[in-house]
Amino acid sequence: MAGVTTTTSTSPGEAAASPEPERRAGSPARPVRLLVGAVGMVVTAWLVCNIFLAFAYYPQWFAGSGILIGLLGLIVGIGGSVVFFYFLNLCIEGFPSRFSEGLIPYAFLLPGFSLIAVLLLYPTVQTIVYSFANKDSSAWVGLDNYRAIFGDGGFWSALLNNLLWILIVPILTVAFGLAVAVLADKLSSTGERIAKSFIFLPMSISFVGAATIWGLIYAYNTPGSPQTGLLNAIVVSLGGEPQAWYQIDTARLNSLLLMVILIWLQTGFAMVLLSSAIKGVPEDTIEAGRMDGASEGRIFWQIVFPQVRPTMLAVFITVLILVLKVFDVIYVTTNGRDSTDVIANLFFRKLFVEQQAGQASAVVVVLLILVLPILVYQVRSFRQQEANR
Amino acid sequence: MIRRLGRRTVLAGAAATAAAGLSGCLQNPDPNSGGGGGGAQKYSEGDVPGTGTVTILGAFGGQEQAAFEESLADFQSESGITIQYTPDQDFTTTIQQRVGAGDAPDIALFPQPGGMFDLAAQGHITPIDVYLDYDALAGTLIPGFLDSARLQGRVYGAPMRMACKSLIWYPKKAYEAAGYPTDPATMQELYAIADQIKGTGIAPWSDAWGSDQATGWVGTDWIEEFMLRVHGPEIYDDWIYHRMPFNAPEVVEVFGLVGELLKGEGNVLGGTATILNTPFSEAPLPLFANPPQAMYVRQGNFVTGFLPADILENLDEEVGVFAMPTWEGGFEGQPILGGGDLAALFALNDDTVEVMKFLTSPEFGGPWAQAGGWLSPHKTFDASQYADETTRRVFDIAANAQVFRYDGSDVMPNAVGGGSFWTGMVEWLQGAKDAQTVCDEIEAGWPA
Repeated sequence: MAGVTTTTSTSPGEAAASPEPERRAGSPARPVRLLVGAVGMVVTAWLVCNIFLAFAYYPQWFAGSGILIGLLGLIVGIGGSVVFFYFLNLCIEGFPSRFSEGLIPYAFLLPGFSLIAVLLLYPTVQTIVYSFANKDSSAWVGLDNYRAIFGDGGFWSALLNNLLWILIVPILTVAFGLAVAVLADKLSSTGERIAKSFIFLPMSISFVGAATIWGLIYAYNTPGSPQTGLLNAIVVSLGGEPQAWYQIDTARLNSLLLMVILIWLQTGFAMVLLSSAIKGVPEDTIEAGRMDGASEGRIFWQIVFPQVRPTMLAVFITVLILVLKVFDVIYVTTNGRDSTDVIANLFFRKLFVEQQAGQASAVVVVLLILVLPILVYQVRSFRQQEANR
Repeated sequence: MIRRLGRRTVLAGAAATAAAGLSGCLQNPDPNSGGGGGGAQKYSEGDVPGTGTVTILGAFGGQEQAAFEESLADFQSESGITIQYTPDQDFTTTIQQRVGAGDAPDIALFPQPGGMFDLAAQGHITPIDVYLDYDALAGTLIPGFLDSARLQGRVYGAPMRMACKSLIWYPKKAYEAAGYPTDPATMQELYAIADQIKGTGIAPWSDAWGSDQATGWVGTDWIEEFMLRVHGPEIYDDWIYHRMPFNAPEVVEVFGLVGELLKGEGNVLGGTATILNTPFSEAPLPLFANPPQAMYVRQGNFVTGFLPADILENLDEEVGVFAMPTWEGGFEGQPILGGGDLAALFALNDDTVEVMKFLTSPEFGGPWAQAGGWLSPHKTFDASQYADETTRRVFDIAANAQVFRYDGSDVMPNAVGGGSFWTGMVEWLQGAKDAQTVCDEIEAGWPA
């Protein structure tokens, strides 16, 4: 709704001066339609709302059956929307046509905008507001929450880790994805299919599942007993001492090992997109390069690479945003111990373990501010791409 | 320009629709549902009809879940109530999250009273005196249980399972073959035996703290055991209820004593790296290696559930257990540290009350006792239902303790008992921080 509230001054004179009504012959207002539409909308909305409330408050009216309620909910929800839009349309058509022409797009966007407002904008604003309130959001504390988190060494450590995640994971993911895509492109079509399937496979594993799988690789057993962890088994067979990998925070090694998990998960995603981008490079541009006697390396760097760059950027930013939100992998492996904490995990702990809603909101506002420039950049580069088509 | 006018009209229309829609909606017939019905003083049957289904959220899954559901099977078919149990490994945070979102289960089984107190203080939980016979319950339970669930004079949860933590396990065959005494009267005597064991070339103790995001709770148990033994129950209570600061000299002293045991050269198999990186459930495994790599594990009764199948089959012949002895020069009587799952009620109606009555009665748990790994918190529970002698022995130890105290970290606020105390123990054990620093930080993070 926020998007349609900006302008205020209008007058019929101005309206008449615009070119549109001159092109179209206006039909007069039809008050009956207008009224029927408006009343219909209100009645439909009221009915649908109350039916859903009845599901919640009086399940016994529906024999307490979850299936029946689900089915009815589906029918009422979809049917209600259809009827609502019918009346909305009727109402708009009741306006003089020179108004209704301009109104219809907004009217139909309105429900979408409302949903975004309720589910996205409202919580965002509320979070920002709560970041200035106390631990149960019942009194204002000014900037105390920000002072608390900025004065906390754990917060800066988490921020540094997030920075490392941002710097390392997206670049390596895109690099590996590109390498695999290019190399797979040189294989026979069966070979390519098999290779790509295997590399794409981890994409279908949840973060928690992946952390469990890698837990088997990083596992530690008492020196002298058989090492069940792959990495330690290798280290020991080479004559080394088993290491407790997740505890080594020298040069943030433990964080790097956790990043490997995410890279392993996301390389498949980068590969699929980049592979299709490489296949989309027009054959004639490559042909032309060959004719001019360019080496394979030169063809890749000077002909293929520039043409897949927009896709790379899109993949890069998608992974980047994913990395900013990284949480599950850390939560189930170290829960932030040994300097592996990240912003999202810190937020979760502040809110649900320490019950500090104010500080948790402040943490998440900082995260929001960090993500914002990237989002803006992504939207702008997406627009540019669209414009260039 | 037309569009501008359009925007206004649309807005006005939307506002009118919203206003018309909001006035004239159904009102919640039971605004307290999920809010615990704090106003009710005494519930009598028929006040609120049940829906026939009762949802329970708890922390245990796997075999424990199967045994729990089996224990409810007869009750369900007799009462006609369907019970839907959902296990959640991360119960402590999930329950806060779900209640906060208005999606509370009907009944929650809290492994820690701390988290229950947080929700009770917010008015989400119905006190048990509203719907249970408090005096009958107090008469059959092991003393000390209901006190641990009390907040500002009212009890909010009733135990449906007991954990007895002050237990030291040993591999019976190897231990008795070596002729070590099985009844040390004090920790100092136990240390003397441990030194003998060390002399044979193996570590006397095995210990493991790994528990995913909850890593560290085993360490809090060590501190609590020593607090109880060295300083006695009164100072212990002062400490867990925060009547004295967490970083009091008594606590720091106890960290030192536990450190001597756990960090002492050759005392614990594999040293601190193994303790931190081994799941707690695997701590007893080295005791049953051939030859044993260690002789003692201090862990609650539930650890038998994680023993290898061949050991479990002959539990009474393979596994020995004695109560963790007293501290010479400390508290005289035999203290027992325990815990329990507290059932707390979120939605008050006929069906949920009936389920609560059954869950918290001495009649509950026969099949679970058979399956093993479960102890009834009731003195009057029919002990012949336990599957083996070992469990009966543990039950005796708990029932006859001179002092029974609830696991302190479970009573402390969640921010400490499920947060800073856990992480603090890990940082202290791996030597990243000393005892004083860890205690100071936990004290500083204690919720006001």
